[in-house]
Amino acid sequence: MEYIIKIKKPKKNLFTDKWVWNMAWKDARNNFSRLFLFISSIIIGIAALVAITSFNNNLQDDIDRQAKELLGADYVIHANSVLEKSFHDRFDTLGVEKASTMSMASMAYFMTSTSGTRLVRVVAMEGQFPFYGELETTPSNAFEKMNSDTPFAMVDSNLATQFDVSTGDSLKIGNVTFKYAGEVRKIPGGGGIQSTFVPSVYIPMTMLDSTGLVQYGSRINNDVFIKTTTDKAAVMLSERLKSEVKKYGHTFETVKSRKENLGKTFANLYRFFNLLAFVALILGCIGVASSVHIYVKEKRATVAVLRCIGASGWQVFNVFLIQTVVLGFIGSLLGATLGLILQYAIPLILGEFIPIDISVAISWQALGQGILVGIVIAVLFSILPLVNVRFVPPLVVLRSIIESSRKITKTTIFTGLLIVIFPLAFAAYLTGSMITGLIFFVGLLVAFACLALFAQLLIFLVKRFFPKSWSFVWRQSLSNLFRPNNQTTVLVVVIGLGAFLVATLSIVQDSLLNQVEFVGGENQSNTILFDIQQHQLEGVTKLVEDNGFPINQTVPIVTTRLKTLKGKTIAEIQKDTTDQIPNWSLTREYRVTYRDTLHHSEELTSGKMQKEVKQQGDTVFVTISEGLKESLELEIGDEVVFDVQGIPITTFIGGVRKVDWPNDPPNFIFVFPKGVLEPAPKIFVITTRTTNAATAGVFQRELVTAFPNVSAIDLKLILETLNTFFEKVAFAIRFMALFSIVTGLVVLSGAVVNSKYLRMKENVLLRTIGALKKQINAMTLIEYGYLGFFAGLTGIGLSVMSGWALATFFFELEFSLNYVSLLSLWGIVIFLTMIVGWWNTRDVVNSSPLEVLRREVL
Amino acid sequence: MEHILTANNLTKTFKSGERSLTVLDSVSFEIEPGATVSIVGPSGSGKTTLLGLCAGLDVPSEGIISLVDIKLNALSEDDRAFVRNQYVGFIFQNFQLLSTLTALENVVLPLELRGEKNLVPRGKELLERVGLIDRMDHFPSQLSGGEQQRVAIARAFMSNPKILFADEPTGNLDEETADIVTKLLFDINKEEGTTLILVTHNMELAQHTQRILQLKGGKLVSDERTHQNLAVESNTSQLA
Repeated sequence: MEYIIKIKKPKKNLFTDKWVWNMAWKDARNNFSRLFLFISSIIIGIAALVAITSFNNNLQDDIDRQAKELLGADYVIHANSVLEKSFHDRFDTLGVEKASTMSMASMAYFMTSTSGTRLVRVVAMEGQFPFYGELETTPSNAFEKMNSDTPFAMVDSNLATQFDVSTGDSLKIGNVTFKYAGEVRKIPGGGGIQSTFVPSVYIPMTMLDSTGLVQYGSRINNDVFIKTTTDKAAVMLSERLKSEVKKYGHTFETVKSRKENLGKTFANLYRFFNLLAFVALILGCIGVASSVHIYVKEKRATVAVLRCIGASGWQVFNVFLIQTVVLGFIGSLLGATLGLILQYAIPLILGEFIPIDISVAISWQALGQGILVGIVIAVLFSILPLVNVRFVPPLVVLRSIIESSRKITKTTIFTGLLIVIFPLAFAAYLTGSMITGLIFFVGLLVAFACLALFAQLLIFLVKRFFPKSWSFVWRQSLSNLFRPNNQTTVLVVVIGLGAFLVATLSIVQDSLLNQVEFVGGENQSNTILFDIQQHQLEGVTKLVEDNGFPINQTVPIVTTRLKTLKGKTIAEIQKDTTDQIPNWSLTREYRVTYRDTLHHSEELTSGKMQKEVKQQGDTVFVTISEGLKESLELEIGDEVVFDVQGIPITTFIGGVRKVDWPNDPPNFIFVFPKGVLEPAPKIFVITTRTTNAATAGVFQRELVTAFPNVSAIDLKLILETLNTFFEKVAFAIRFMALFSIVTGLVVLSGAVVNSKYLRMKENVLLRTIGALKKQINAMTLIEYGYLGFFAGLTGIGLSVMSGWALATFFFELEFSLNYVSLLSLWGIVIFLTMIVGWWNTRDVVNSSPLEVLRREVL
Repeated sequence: MEHILTANNLTKTFKSGERSLTVLDSVSFEIEPGATVSIVGPSGSGKTTLLGLCAGLDVPSEGIISLVDIKLNALSEDDRAFVRNQYVGFIFQNFQLLSTLTALENVVLPLELRGEKNLVPRGKELLERVGLIDRMDHFPSQLSGGEQQRVAIARAFMSNPKILFADEPTGNLDEETADIVTKLLFDINKEEGTTLILVTHNMELAQHTQRILQLKGGKLVSDERTHQNLAVESNTSQLA
């Protein structure tokens, strides 16, 4: 007998086969809830990407647009002392417009309804600053008023609010009482976080001398703002003055360098945001793959029926591919829209930390990119699970237990390759650097690998040391961790990654906060009085004691500069291009002290500390802090010649100190032995401990009245400000990290739902043979409790390492762990996992076994 | 075409590790167009496996299976799917309707897959025939078991198949509903003149067919003509 062994069938592809489109729609229209996890993963992942990219783009545009306004001029020279007269006079010969400011710290006494004193930055202004951008004041003529004959001063808005300053009020700066001219709402280069720590008071330059603030040892910053006719002229001017600026140890800025500096300033912010976007997106990808995996599993019977009535493998594949692509597109659109809405929230949260006006505009690039990436993710991460539908045997309609033959096809290999390339390429694109992209990618791989490895280890250990004597409920839940079809690895990776991210942020925050907890000690100083002239020392000491406060330290300070290092003059070192010593460390003013003991905030790590120089002509050995030893490339025994008020003093490095800078200040880079600097002109710092805000307020008022040039740093106030600042930063960081965490929760739900289908039959069977609801509930909660416990442990364990690395190498802080916050976080992870697990399986527990079986069969 | 279905030495062996299990052992038979045949036997005798092979849902380990002269074991899975769509209809014990489609959409599905148009009148006609025209927009979850099986019968006949395979079609129904469904199945089958292969362990149901193939331990142990066959033969001779 002869048989037909070849079939001729019409060839149709995805676009010519109307049936697949029709079927895709019919199958999906009442089935959207089944793809909720899929679309949620895309929405959140893309929302994070679009919000962050859009914000980054807008910020970049704002920097480009506002750089000139931020600088306020074409060219600015910054000096940390009064600019040399000869240098200053040069500008008059250049025929350029010029303005300048001198700023210094001082106490201000507000004579208002809520009178009080506060350390402020006094800015003396001369000329029509700013040349670009706006000086926004209330009233609008405040600047003109300030420059009138009567002494008027303007204050930053937050200061005006703090002391409830209004027209007619006065404030005392040094020896002069100024009338209130108005508040400064915006000033080029000002505002932002700087004004939170040290708010400014603006006075005319003509009044500066009368205040008496400029005295020996006063720390003054002098900025000169120059307006040129063209941008090119500014560049030429900067070239012309470069060597002179360097010689005097000043720095300069042009619009271009300001842009670059801002770019550098925000580089870490961009990096952090991009990391969050990347993590959110990768979690989104996992969410997509996991939800499509679940979907395909649920659709197995449908696929078998379609195959049975004659649909080809590719036709069935196309039906589901169309669904995922269309939903991917809808999800991307929704995600992109949500992202654009969310980006309005980012400036509200971060605006305070960024010294520019952040505009919120629709970034079409971010929108387009988000939609495109969403579709790519939807397709790429759906294909692998979807390929399986091609191999669902039609025989499943007769026997549901028939397994699909898992085949490795060209599609799976090609898609697998693309899946590896995608995160790497995307990270490189996001960061604009192949190397950074690779670091992101490898970092993520390492985190994933560690978590996955731990999960495998956990499965092994639980199996190996299974507690056979435990009760049924505890044993059953524990054995779910290693039984076939367990979700342990997926859940540990997903939950662990979330815990890892949050814990890392928490550790860094704790390390930062730990730095400012130095004023917590009972006997440590909380107030520092500085700029005390020699003739004022006795009076200030008496005032402190009369107020009932202790004198904790009286520290003499001598201002010096470096003259030679290891026999080479500063000019020679500057000229030597092979030298890597930073210019600022060569030209800066060093405030040094002399003493015969180590302060409790420092320890000698090498060499010796010379206590006293007994005879003139003896070799002088100074100690240096570790950081500057590195910067100045000095070793023990090296010669350093200081210029102390014009007199050279030759010294040698005798020892190196490790200084805990924030601990009980003041602390010093160079410490001289006794018997050398005593005759030099000096100022003093007194540290004391005030008891409460009321007595501190009274004391500060008396201090300002009697010694107008002496300033007091209230460390308590600084601590409070820092705490508020870090709380805000932490909130901002957590808000941004929320994208990743929410995506993680969606993925977690996906994984739990996946395991739900696997556990369902078993739970139904247990219910049928008489297990109580209570027992099933307990088993579910305990199983997810175990998972939360172990995943949290791994994630937090890893975060200790990453937190240490970030704190030590990135933020250069002393690593500190807050066990309570980490334990709380661990508890929250366990609780959340239990709740998500229980929530997603509660219907199995609460329905009758028959009801569940029927529903799931349908 | 002398035979619509030919099974020649069909053997199906499943391998599990090093062990192999032969569930069907050298089964051979032929079925003429228009015949109604039951495959009966105890559980595990290989009935469903044989049905799967005959319908092209699976391929034999050895032997030849041909449907409308097409050698199924020479075809790829997609080609066999095409053959099923063109020539085969199915009715299953657990109905196997697509839960996301309405009754009418389920019925017209096989012809939609072929790319044919204007299917609604024929679909409605079949639903009317099975007494469910007023439920055509209902989803399977809104129908009883008997109603679902009636929709499945309508779907099976929608594409005018040359051969219809039914796997325990009344297995999930109560006695009364089972009788209604059986009557409907055989009545429509008679009207359409379709070849029917019925897998059942219910001998009473098997008696409705003209021929009974009995399997035991994977072997074909008997091939009997029933009184239905005799009735058909006598009708034929009377007409002649």
